[in-house]
Amino acid sequence: MSKPDQWTRRLVLQRAMQLGAMGVATPLAINLAAISEAAAFDSTDYKALVCVFMYGGNDYANTVVPYDAANYALYHQIRAGAGGENEAGIALARANLAATALTPAAGPALTDNLQYALHPNLAGLKGLWDQGRLAVQLNVGPLVQPTTLAQYQSTNRVANPLPPKLFSHNDQQSIWQSNGSEGSTIGWGGRLGDIALSSNANNSLLTCISASGNAVFVAGRDALQYQTSPAGAISIRGIDPNQTNWPALRTALNSLITPTSNHVLENEYSIVTRRSIAMEGVVNGALAGVTLSNTTNALFPAGNPLAAQLKIVARLIGASTALGVRRQVFFVSLGGFDNHNLLMQDHPRLMQRLNDAMTAFYAATVELGMQNRVTTFTASDFGRTLSSNADGSDHGWGSHQFIMGGAVNGGRYYGTAPHVSIQTDDQVGQGRLLPSTSVDQFAATLARWFGCSAGELPGILPNVGNFSNTNLGFV
Amino acid sequence: MLKAATDAEAARFLLQAQFSAPDTDIASLRNDGYVSWLNAQYASAPGQTGVAWLDSKNRNAVTQDEQYFWPQFGDFMIWNQLLAGPDQMRKRIALALSEFFVVSLSPIDGFYPPYVIGAYWDVLTANGFGNFRTLLERITLNAGMGFFLNTKGNLKEDANGRQPDENYAREVMQLFTIGLYELNADGTHRLDANNQPIESYGQSDITNLARVFTGYDWDYVSNGAFFTPTPGKPWGQVPSTHFATNPMRFRASDHSTLAVNFLGTSIAANTSGPNALSAALDVLFNHANTGPFFARQMIQRLVTSNPSPAYVGRVAAAFANNGSGVRGDLKAVWTAILTDAEALAAPTASDTLRGKLREPIVRFVQWARTVGTTSTTGAYEIYDLSGSDQALGQSALRSPSVFNFFRPGYVPPNTAIATASKQAPEFQLLNETTTAGYINFMQWVTRGGYNDVKPTYAALLPIAHDVPQVLAWLNLRLAANQLSTTSLNVIQTLATQFGVTATSTDSQKLDLLATVTWLMLSSPEYLVQK
Repeated sequence: MSKPDQWTRRLVLQRAMQLGAMGVATPLAINLAAISEAAAFDSTDYKALVCVFMYGGNDYANTVVPYDAANYALYHQIRAGAGGENEAGIALARANLAATALTPAAGPALTDNLQYALHPNLAGLKGLWDQGRLAVQLNVGPLVQPTTLAQYQSTNRVANPLPPKLFSHNDQQSIWQSNGSEGSTIGWGGRLGDIALSSNANNSLLTCISASGNAVFVAGRDALQYQTSPAGAISIRGIDPNQTNWPALRTALNSLITPTSNHVLENEYSIVTRRSIAMEGVVNGALAGVTLSNTTNALFPAGNPLAAQLKIVARLIGASTALGVRRQVFFVSLGGFDNHNLLMQDHPRLMQRLNDAMTAFYAATVELGMQNRVTTFTASDFGRTLSSNADGSDHGWGSHQFIMGGAVNGGRYYGTAPHVSIQTDDQVGQGRLLPSTSVDQFAATLARWFGCSAGELPGILPNVGNFSNTNLGFV
Repeated sequence: MLKAATDAEAARFLLQAQFSAPDTDIASLRNDGYVSWLNAQYASAPGQTGVAWLDSKNRNAVTQDEQYFWPQFGDFMIWNQLLAGPDQMRKRIALALSEFFVVSLSPIDGFYPPYVIGAYWDVLTANGFGNFRTLLERITLNAGMGFFLNTKGNLKEDANGRQPDENYAREVMQLFTIGLYELNADGTHRLDANNQPIESYGQSDITNLARVFTGYDWDYVSNGAFFTPTPGKPWGQVPSTHFATNPMRFRASDHSTLAVNFLGTSIAANTSGPNALSAALDVLFNHANTGPFFARQMIQRLVTSNPSPAYVGRVAAAFANNGSGVRGDLKAVWTAILTDAEALAAPTASDTLRGKLREPIVRFVQWARTVGTTSTTGAYEIYDLSGSDQALGQSALRSPSVFNFFRPGYVPPNTAIATASKQAPEFQLLNETTTAGYINFMQWVTRGGYNDVKPTYAALLPIAHDVPQVLAWLNLRLAANQLSTTSLNVIQTLATQFGVTATSTDSQKLDLLATVTWLMLSSPEYLVQK
């Protein structure tokens, strides 16, 4: 379904340089002119992309909510099974949306003259919208090529290819992150990391970082995922002279946990341990030089796992100069969004966590003077149905996402608003949105801000050439 | 009757079939052989259930401090089940099943979460040596599964556009029976004319099947269930724990009577709920995918991450027919997995992708059962060990989602495993944080235990002054003698520096024993089970 992977000249050169640096004979003669071309990306500024992944499939319709009277009535009828404006079924009360109603600073009228409000618990994000620091991308999701409802329903999958395993959690998580279903090993964040490696010569291992679990998003062809806990890097006590004062024990443990082995699994395990040991001092050393003010620290609520992850990301960004890194891609996540049941109980708590964590993170980047160099975006497995299953919603496809940062052209919508409907041709049944913007376009826009040229995009996003607009303009 | 020729062969088999390698089991495998040992396990009486253990600890009490809401007794329950009791093969199999038919304690709230998860665990131990079809129905109607995947309270469609919840319909197909793609009998993908895999179901199959699972809810009334008044509490009364152990009750008025068309089968409109459920589960049980789909993942859990298609095919054939014409006999599946030539063959130096990474839960339980533990209070106060920086990074019955702790198709990026186009599911839990966190956690527990659960090293204390004998004892039981001479020499050199003699104190001996055990447990040669 995807085109053969395309290698740009810069990536080829970089690969060759890395092979050379590793002492492996390179078949390519690299001259200085070629290297300077490859170094065009290596500007002196710093930029970071931060992916906030909502695991489980976020309910789009209660995140960015129809608010004008006519469209709210449609929303309420579908989600509550009756008219009215009070909270009912899985519909939010209209009055509770007034404070988070969005007024765009610019842009054309939306479909059916829609006006949206954010979920009532997203008041902090609404404030960032008002400041022009938050944009909303409407109805974005995985597509191979622009697809109409008729094409979706067609049986000719050769002419009308679709992303594999739509509506399946693990596969759509993987496709959002990597363009491939489960088992795929290269994410688009990692591909950006591949290009950025030479900008981070001092600590190239800190190019792609997950503060969540292992995520294919931050795995490149050459760029490795580095994983950090919210507390920073974890020291192995038994080899740490500050914690173990018996040299013979430190030596024995170190040799036992870091051997090279002919057995592939053993050897790969050792490699991760060696990486853990090698980077622990570097990371914790650099983090020790970063302090956030008490005011900012207090914005990160205890017991909010996303906030804890974003706090360590903020501190790592604060340490970027000390670490000698100029381009970084981060991955953080929050789970619990598969709200088949108890949507009205569970989803508001998740929205509060998202709001608190993202606004605290933005404030931290402001304190660090980095807000214009850090762009944060949300993603999720999929959107959900607009229709109700009594007290929740089911798996969908397209969804609305946020882009946040000082460089964002915020206070505006991007993309096409879907009708509030379970019958129109912009959904595939029960309000599962047929995406009008593809993840590739969304990612390409972020990649360009990060510093990629148009020519490099196909090497990162294999299907991007199927879409005419690769710069949506939100950043 | 094929027998283990050496202690190492016996230990290697035992560490695939269960958690540890006790001397009596090693002797049985050498004297009577593999099949005889397996049949003895199948015939042995199950140990105390999780629910019975909770009862024995009065966890069903209605207390003023509202212990009926506390989830941690569920963690105590499962660690007691895994660490204690004689029927460890049954427990090992149930743990493998709990990572296929996943229910997690983490999101379960309301009254008595420990009983909800305990009753689910008990379904797995009770049916792990039974039939897949029975097991499938029991988990479908179990209260914990009902909560976790939303069959509990699932209502039929209505005139205002309400639709049945699709969660269980989707995951019972994707994860519990047939999987995403049509499979050959050896578990490989069937391919269409364009050499593409063929999806085994579509959204319409899910929407239809979802109707079958409407009309169910927790049963607060059957089998002697009762309520205890709790004056002054907002909820007024507390149900007895029967709702957790009772199968979900069916109410016809909440059940969809529409026809169900899925996977080429039609269940007529107005079929009764129980009959529709039975028919639908029959379709999934008898689907050509189910045997190979289940077989491959069980091989991955017990033996190797990358079984050959032929191996999968042999196990799937045992699933299809146990030799007596019975489909779904799980005893036949375990015997086929564990006595297959591919499982029994000794690892060779050239086979550099053999085996699997031991998962953290299994390492911890293996350690505890090998060196022996005792509880000072009987409470087994071992909490959720999911924390990756301070704990094990994985905790039984605490999967973050229905997709388990790791995926069967996980390929660790940027590794020689990926280059070889192989899979390594357990590597999904491995990163810079968890490798360090695990070593630190084991350093702590190997000496001090965890709360009331203390290691005894009972078999090792009498030989603690004889370092080579200690290392040989541990190497056999922890690693089936797979630690290298190089590693053993490193450990021995350090161990002799403890200067332990026959007259040393138990505390001095335990320092030595815990350290050498911890060093072995930290070594990749141990961590990868070959």
